[in-house]
Amino acid sequence: MAKLLTDDVVKQIEEAFAPMKENVQVMFFGQKEDCQYCSDTQQLLEEVVDISDKLSIEIYDLDDDADLAEKFNVDKAPGTVLAAKDGDSISDFGIRYAGIPSGHEFTSLIQDILLVSGRDSGLAQETRDFLKELTEPVLLQVFVTPT
Amino acid sequence: MVQAEMVEATEFQALSNKYNVSGVPQTTINDGAANITGAVPESNMIAEIKRITAK
Repeated sequence: MAKLLTDDVVKQIEEAFAPMKENVQVMFFGQKEDCQYCSDTQQLLEEVVDISDKLSIEIYDLDDDADLAEKFNVDKAPGTVLAAKDGDSISDFGIRYAGIPSGHEFTSLIQDILLVSGRDSGLAQETRDFLKELTEPVLLQVFVTPT
Repeated sequence: MVQAEMVEATEFQALSNKYNVSGVPQTTINDGAANITGAVPESNMIAEIKRITAK
């Protein structure tokens, strides 16, 4: 299969990943039917994960792994979760991608991987204090187009 | 408590229509309790979340 990432892009990502600190787990949820971008998304993520030994990927299916999908609040395919991996322990930071992270969102994906690897959101202390006090779930959905 | 989801609008048209996405990026909070078009600075985002969760 032809590579989605060119050698030049792989080189750029290698440089971007140089400051990576801790391990990051990518969880991909595909679906067998009616999923136009599932195979492309899976391939893209696999090519990114190949670039750093601090990255690993698990491939799941929205239907076959319904319990896990529900646990991680994944209800769309392709669905991607970026989580922190420390030994066997996975910590969910609430980061999800619904659809293919291409175009501008490919940059977001790389930056999110770096954030999770650094285990630091970069948010202001005031923001962190406020979020700590939240008593009900907040869902932020950012609609984007790949162009 | 906080989940942030990138949604590729053209792949999930029904959801985009539900929240009347006309420009991107659009940030939709808690099933349409707030819809913000354009970039959202951290302080604005927190102000919106405060407004919604205070109800």
